[in-house]
Amino acid sequence: MNSRIPLTLLTGFALSSQALAEFSDEDRHFTLKVLPLLTEKCFGCHGDPNQKLKGGLDMTSLEKLLHGGDNFTNVLVPGDAEASFLMTTVRWDDEDYEMPPKENDRLDEKQIADLEQWINSGATWPEESVQEKIYLAEREREVTDEGVLIKTSGGLADTWTYRRYQAEDVWAFRPLDRSVEPVAQSAHPVDSFISAKMEEAGVAKAPQADARTLLRRAYFDLTGLPPTPEATESFLTAYAADEEKAWTDLIDQLLDSPQYGERWAQHWLDIARYADTGGMSNDYERSNAWRYRDYVIRSLNEDKPYDQFIMEQIAGDELADTSLRKRTPDWDQYQTAREEGHYSEKEAELLIASGFLRMGPWDPAMVKVEEARQMYLDDVINSVGQTFLSTTMRCFKCHDHKFDPLPARDYYRFYASFATTQLAERQAPFLEVEERAGFEEGKELVEELLSYATEKKDELFNKQEDAAKAWYAERGKPYVTLEERKDLPDEEKPPRMVGLDHIEQGRLKVREQDVWIWTRRLERYQPMVQSVYNGPDSKWANARKLRMNTKGNADWVPNSTILSGGSIEAPGVPVTPGVLSALGLPSPTASESDPYKLPEDQFGRRRALAEWIAHPDNALTARSIVNRIWQYHFGKPIAGTPNNFGVKGAKPTHPELLDWMAADFVENGWTFKRLHRLIMTSDTYRQSAQHPDFDKLVNGDPNNDLFAYFPVRRLTAEEIRDGMLQITGELNLAQGGLPARPEINMEVALQPRMIQFSLAPAYQPSPTPEERNRRSVYGYRVRGMADPFLETFNQPNPNDSCAVRDAASVSPQAFTLMNSDLVTDRSIAFALRLEKEAATRDEQITRAFQLALGREPKADEAAKMKDYIAEMENYHQDSHPTKREYPTKITRTLIEEFSGQPFQYEEILPVFENYQPDTQAAEVPPATRALADFCLVLFNCNEFVHLY
Amino acid sequence: MIHQICSRPISSASSRREFLYGLGASLGSVAMTNMLAKEAAPSILQNPLAPQAPLNPAKAKNVIMLFMEGGPGHMDTFDPKPKLNQLHKSESKLAAGLETGFKFFVGSPFTFSKVGQSGIEMCDEFQYLRDPEIVDELCNYRGCQAESLNHPEALFHMNTGSRLGADPALGAWATYGLGSSNQNLPGYVVMTENALPQGGSRNWSNGFLPAYHQGTALRPTGSPILDLQSQGYKSRAHQRAALDALGYLNQEHASHHPEHADLAARIESYELAYRMQMEVPEVVAIDDEPEYMKEMYGLNDTDTADFGRQCLMARRLVEKGTRFVQIFSGGWDSHDYLERGHRARIRSVDRPMAALIKDLKQRGMLEDTLVIWTGEFGRTPDNNKRGGVYSIGRGHNANAMTMLMAGGGVKAGSIVGATDEIGAEAVDVKHPIRDFHCTLLHLLGLDDNKLTYFHAGRYKQLSQFGGKVIQELIA
Repeated sequence: MNSRIPLTLLTGFALSSQALAEFSDEDRHFTLKVLPLLTEKCFGCHGDPNQKLKGGLDMTSLEKLLHGGDNFTNVLVPGDAEASFLMTTVRWDDEDYEMPPKENDRLDEKQIADLEQWINSGATWPEESVQEKIYLAEREREVTDEGVLIKTSGGLADTWTYRRYQAEDVWAFRPLDRSVEPVAQSAHPVDSFISAKMEEAGVAKAPQADARTLLRRAYFDLTGLPPTPEATESFLTAYAADEEKAWTDLIDQLLDSPQYGERWAQHWLDIARYADTGGMSNDYERSNAWRYRDYVIRSLNEDKPYDQFIMEQIAGDELADTSLRKRTPDWDQYQTAREEGHYSEKEAELLIASGFLRMGPWDPAMVKVEEARQMYLDDVINSVGQTFLSTTMRCFKCHDHKFDPLPARDYYRFYASFATTQLAERQAPFLEVEERAGFEEGKELVEELLSYATEKKDELFNKQEDAAKAWYAERGKPYVTLEERKDLPDEEKPPRMVGLDHIEQGRLKVREQDVWIWTRRLERYQPMVQSVYNGPDSKWANARKLRMNTKGNADWVPNSTILSGGSIEAPGVPVTPGVLSALGLPSPTASESDPYKLPEDQFGRRRALAEWIAHPDNALTARSIVNRIWQYHFGKPIAGTPNNFGVKGAKPTHPELLDWMAADFVENGWTFKRLHRLIMTSDTYRQSAQHPDFDKLVNGDPNNDLFAYFPVRRLTAEEIRDGMLQITGELNLAQGGLPARPEINMEVALQPRMIQFSLAPAYQPSPTPEERNRRSVYGYRVRGMADPFLETFNQPNPNDSCAVRDAASVSPQAFTLMNSDLVTDRSIAFALRLEKEAATRDEQITRAFQLALGREPKADEAAKMKDYIAEMENYHQDSHPTKREYPTKITRTLIEEFSGQPFQYEEILPVFENYQPDTQAAEVPPATRALADFCLVLFNCNEFVHLY
Repeated sequence: MIHQICSRPISSASSRREFLYGLGASLGSVAMTNMLAKEAAPSILQNPLAPQAPLNPAKAKNVIMLFMEGGPGHMDTFDPKPKLNQLHKSESKLAAGLETGFKFFVGSPFTFSKVGQSGIEMCDEFQYLRDPEIVDELCNYRGCQAESLNHPEALFHMNTGSRLGADPALGAWATYGLGSSNQNLPGYVVMTENALPQGGSRNWSNGFLPAYHQGTALRPTGSPILDLQSQGYKSRAHQRAALDALGYLNQEHASHHPEHADLAARIESYELAYRMQMEVPEVVAIDDEPEYMKEMYGLNDTDTADFGRQCLMARRLVEKGTRFVQIFSGGWDSHDYLERGHRARIRSVDRPMAALIKDLKQRGMLEDTLVIWTGEFGRTPDNNKRGGVYSIGRGHNANAMTMLMAGGGVKAGSIVGATDEIGAEAVDVKHPIRDFHCTLLHLLGLDDNKLTYFHAGRYKQLSQFGGKVIQELIA
């Protein structure tokens, strides 16, 4: 064996001065396929000079490989792959030697075949100068059988910069492919693409769904609510007369209803991570975050073009300030106007839109200010990347992207485009359209809570200061106030919290926290907006109060660099702001030498970035949104990972359709409503959830990638709650404004919850049913305390962007729907409605089916349910529900940080002093309770919670 | 909680199998790696929480994790630093930590002894844990390092492997990898004190794993699980009648929708709920325990009753087949009044945790139950002035901390790793949290590199990017 080495080296040497064509296939194979593979997958543990060699095996040269490791000498047997233990390890054939050991790093079949080929053909290892020449020659060829080169701004190493991609893997970075057009004969462009695939697979499409199914599908899809029996009846009549017209009229009517924006805003808010609080240790309220929520709803209802929607959310503040500046030429006046919020309606709307950049969880408490800054920037650019470009940015923060043509340089160029962005609550007048109901009542409640906390705090504080006075008096010294004595030496002042026992000490701390919590809550009623501005970095940060600094140096620009390994401690090569280079799409401020550059001034970076994202030729942007819209209609996207279109994301099942729709969307004004109409008028959307050849499909297309039938989905948390409220007649369709506070499980509402230094105040629902029974999208979203009903039904955690909702059936859902006060109250309300609207049991049962399921009961169903109600009526003759009590105060127990001992204090719940509860079981007769039992069963049944 | 159904290359085959077994695609997430690597019988697909054999020979089957929220001071519990007593109140120039201004060293207010045959060091406030029968079961690990200095991020890190608060918790990974052996009880149970810890339920979230793996919080007061029982005026017979009426409608409906396999899973979730209504109250009914047992766990003493009840419940749960139990005990964040604070906290946990280990041992359960006692980080050797006064307390320390472990295959009666002479930093057998996590999985017979879940374009794992097993901890 040993005799082969010099021969190989010699051969390599002899060839080193030859042209590319003259390199041997073996040398090229090794250099271009095998060596990069070994470098990426093996050398980390078997060849890093800074690390101990694993198993004593060094793989960085042929000689060392042939030498083997501590336990094996047959690692490599040139000419015989089967005898080479290397092959056993990469195939994971030996449980103790599965290499590389991580699932994520495991070789694919092609890589294994490459290794095998290399060994079988003699394990050639040309010397470095030969490798170098092969590389250089290779870089001249854009497409080879190894894949395509993608020009980027360049990786940290040449091997990355010149690595090749399989064309189908980088589909998302390519321009839209319009080479396949819908077949002219096809009645509908969407069906043309879908049918083509099905024909290929030899599958026929499902029949059209019936009118009732279509109606319920369209209602939930576009408004998140079920159709009323009246709407059902009128649609059925219209559909019988003219199917096509009835269907398109229905779509128009639903798209025109305000409920459309509410429903579709929820999708967007899932991605943007909307919440009314900031999360982390303090979970501070983000005062008036609701203005962003309403902006999204408004934009969708107005059918705002998506490119504009993008611009406003990424650069709304820059657009607003540019506009303000135009009419305020004096610099100082301009700054005053910014500070005081002298914005026009249109400008204020833009500031509200920039709230998108404030949606992530963030709190710099106990974090160094530079780290807190990095946390924000990493978070915001990941959010922009995922949301608008379906690109998970955090994957190329520490190194060039492992799989995608995204160099770390581009991460830091993107990062630099946000490096002048500062967080602030800014002044922006309330808009005419913004709902301000509940301001007065809300303010009164907060003031009451504030004055209670202040009174309790003062009591304890005075006690402490009395003791301090006594302490000074004893020593014959004059009293020094707390503030003044703070920095005196210990011997010259009374002990901390003098005169208070550990219980009082704990209480004083809690009350102090409460005072500022409620003081801060009053911000809610000021024309404030969660936004950003451009300015210099500040020396400190506190999420409790983030205000604009207009005095900052307007010429300040940060030093932006690549951060090696993602660490702020390790600044590397300087970078300027820029866009992602892999798309080959120049930025609006491109220069000849740098086509991807963005402005380097403090102001205007994000606007240029937003223009690039919203550019008609940005294929990522268009594909991303069209894929999402499709997914929300079908419950299943075309490209399976909507927040990640990278190499490792799922490939589109219908790439031609995706590209055609994306191009069509952009060419026709980026309008959502047009796209909804396009999708919903297709046969594909209108087909049944059942398929005659289902048994065959199960085997051939188990994931329904062909869209051969309509994918069934479970209703979302909000659809279930809002649907129940509409069915019972309790739903209040008021739009927008302050977060609504629905009644939630009282144990959770009153459960203590730690925040930094104290407990968060209890959750108090709104006092009247009308205020509580608003649509779920308007509910108060606290990161630290999810609404337990909605959380149980998979409302996503707002700490992470959610592209696809989970819908697993777990037992807590059964507990909630069967047993909770919330659903029990709905069942009583439903029963009362039925009694009001229908006289006999039979009629009540029929009406219940119509309201809840949009259909008549079948005869045997009606009979069975009638029996059940009768049985329950009998049961309830002797059942004894009690009325729920709502406490007006609650005793809290907290473990005092200083003493480690529990102490108690009282918290008041003024809302419950004049609370109007929903009608409860105890207030209705047995017959109504029995009817309610049946109503509860309907809310639990599979037909109600699923959409077909 | 973005959950993307497994879409790895083999997904069509696996989905087909799920389908054939009459279950929805949402069940497709049963430890795929495990299954596919070992080609387990497809029948286990029937239930995502069905018990599964571990990948490797396991030392531990179950875990009970006692989480001391706030961060216990290592130099005030199990890692004495006499040097600090010499330096007490002298100026500290240490740069780490968040305290600013004049800083001074703080000696521990407690005395220490070496106990048991193994000579494990322990502050004398621990009265029960020093029992030789218990002490020689313990393994004290001093080498772990956290990363965050802030409570919620550090809590998230220790509980989920990520500081962001959106990833699956340890218990979720454990049930994902191993299932649970009692289908009428939750496989992953969490118990908290009066108040939820900072970050709340994100600390026991299923993250991107399917919802079956979410921790179930047994509530300290009121109903142990939210809405576990039907409304007071509805009897169990009433409940059965409702389920039967529901079953009738669902049956009728399912017969028209063979394409929708999730319908069956949902029907089963109701039956499971019905069974849990019986079983959960039984397991939490600790009044059934004999008096000596209650005494042993400290149930008759108000200072130890809460934590004692939870420790006893943990033993009962594990005995009945729950895979992973976590108990949160707050109040360890002693920035001031260290002596009072830590003394009271130690007192509240000492007797119950000693009882737990003893009880598990007597029942022969300790060898396959891993008990872990840890905080989210350690504490600093120094402090700054508060309100202008020398406050005898400590700040947050991400560079050093202390952990206790017992049972489940850890090296009993040992001290592993070390911190420097003032406890500022770990210096020996030093490992980041992710290595501790890999070790925990290893003890459960799972391999962090193999226990993965495909999500958002990547195979994700507990350690995020891989880590090392801390061999020194393993018996």
